Amino acid sequence: MATVTYTQASRIYPGTPRPAVNQLDLEIGDGEFLVLVGPSGCGKSTSLRMLAGLEDVDEGAIYIDDRDVTRLPPKARDIAMVFQNYALYPHMSVYENMAFALKLRKTPKSEIDRKVKETATLLQLEDFLSRKPKALSGGQRQRVAMGRAIVREPQVFLMDEPLSNLDAKLRVQTRSQIATLQANLGITTVYVTHDQIEAMTMGHRVAVLLDGVLQQVDSPRVLYDRPGNVFVAGFIGSPAMNIKTVPLTEQGARFVDMILPLDRKQVESANSEGGNGQVTIGFRPEDCALVSANEGGMPITVDLVEETGADALVYGAVALDNGNEDERFVVRIDPRNVPRLNEVVYVRPKSDAHHAFNAATGLRL
Amino acid sequence: MIEAKRTAPSRAKTPVRMLLKVPALHLISITVGAFILIPVVFGILGGFKDTGQLSKNAFGLPDPWVPQNYLDILTSEAFWRPLGNSIFVALATTFLLVAVAAMASFAFARFAFPGREVLFMVFAMGLMFPFAVAILPLYHMVRALDLIDNPLGVILPQAAFWLPITIIILRQFFMAVPGQIEEAATLDGCSAFGFFWRILLPMARPALATVSVLAIVNSWNNFMLPLVIFNDPDWWTLPLGVQQFHGQYASDTAKVLAYVVVSMVPALAFYAVAERHLVGGLTAGSVKE
Repeated sequence: MATVTYTQASRIYPGTPRPAVNQLDLEIGDGEFLVLVGPSGCGKSTSLRMLAGLEDVDEGAIYIDDRDVTRLPPKARDIAMVFQNYALYPHMSVYENMAFALKLRKTPKSEIDRKVKETATLLQLEDFLSRKPKALSGGQRQRVAMGRAIVREPQVFLMDEPLSNLDAKLRVQTRSQIATLQANLGITTVYVTHDQIEAMTMGHRVAVLLDGVLQQVDSPRVLYDRPGNVFVAGFIGSPAMNIKTVPLTEQGARFVDMILPLDRKQVESANSEGGNGQVTIGFRPEDCALVSANEGGMPITVDLVEETGADALVYGAVALDNGNEDERFVVRIDPRNVPRLNEVVYVRPKSDAHHAFNAATGLRL
Repeated sequence: MIEAKRTAPSRAKTPVRMLLKVPALHLISITVGAFILIPVVFGILGGFKDTGQLSKNAFGLPDPWVPQNYLDILTSEAFWRPLGNSIFVALATTFLLVAVAAMASFAFARFAFPGREVLFMVFAMGLMFPFAVAILPLYHMVRALDLIDNPLGVILPQAAFWLPITIIILRQFFMAVPGQIEEAATLDGCSAFGFFWRILLPMARPALATVSVLAIVNSWNNFMLPLVIFNDPDWWTLPLGVQQFHGQYASDTAKVLAYVVVSMVPALAFYAVAERHLVGGLTAGSVKE
């Protein structure tokens, strides 16, 4: 078991203007399940591959426990990786695939046999040990890829979008299996995904990256409740938070006739650093309600209603006086009482459920 | 309207087309098949005739059947010795060729180094170098190396001349192996050579089989180089053996036919076994596209 530490780790591809991973500082605890999440091209896979030793670390360092592994070759790092495409060896049976790494380390045959069989039982692969990968289904291949990593009992597991080749139902199922497995094995795990739901459901902590820069790393709860900046606020949660930049008054942020209150300190810092009389406000679709006309909501004209079964999503637009076109909002409501198209409804966020950010820097106020 | 006009006649045409297409395809395959089969059958049957029959009745069935030609050849040193030489030269050439080409292709396919494409072009340019043109300088070189009447004098030039095409085929195959498999092997503890030996070569078995068959067949049929290099009849390969037979039985065309038929058999037998391996698709299933 081990901890992983990135200190100021950067990866700069020659001939590109900005680093793929920019001075990443991250500490991953012993036995922790950390998820790296972000849009494509944000550097999450690169960060993982730097830890694996498949990418160079151009600046900074990476430690596993107290050992500096920055310049060590992959095989000296005692890590195992599950690839997006599984990368099973096609000419080997499931058994041979799982035994391969142990065989290379000259582990005694009887011990290899015991470990492979144990792992196969754990993953319900006993019946497939003699099959070749091409005779397996997608879910089975995924389990073999997991097994190949588990059987080595590495210090750190790395997983690079291991679920993205499965269909939706299997993905949800496997998601919980991996989380349970990791909890039972207690092996430090770094998991890369672009799917924020995967990140939220699996990770003990989640690190959000954008353009090679770490935005925020915290528990899923905190990321959801107190996003550190506008990007994290918009990235975490589905449907995404309503985020608008609106005029700032002494009392707070003005949405047409509705004022969302901000305290004096927030107003002060919203005006600093180029905020310039504007403030960025976000509130989640599930944190608002439709109210009647005289309860001080913001009027929006409904242009789409999506019923998902458990609840309904109401989309509508309104002209805010911030100089932009009509702004669109989404509200999650009880599906038994949905408005009609083109109806004007009044939206009001629950009290203190809105998030305020500096309009220029995007940082939380 | 225009759409309707366009589709209507083509719909009416389709069955007619099919009606014409099937017999046409049959005709083509029968013609091609005939071009291949007739000479072979002619050779086999010709071997059962004596010279008199061959000149009087060239295309009919033998009457009576004369097995003597085949028996003579199968009991003659003049057949078995060249057969052994042919097998030895073919196998040695193939082994050397495939071993060297696989390593070169591995470097060309999986490593990025400055000048890779230029160097690959140099290798590929060998394709455009006709064997016949090279024969004179080649002979001088082989003589300078003192390899006349030495099997290496044939094996080395053959391997060298077929290197370009083999490298091109193998490189293509090696490049198609996904990078993630190499990364997985690296993480499992393979060195570069370990990946080549334990993963890439086994995965490339269909490609290796293809280039091996090509090399063996080429070597089996090669006439010019052995003719120039081997003066000593002890080293003659099968194509040269025919020549010798031809001289010895100048008037006995039937025996030459029988000899050719018998010398085809090992090549055919080999092909029957190897063909199974020529089917590719070993990578299917390792990586989901």
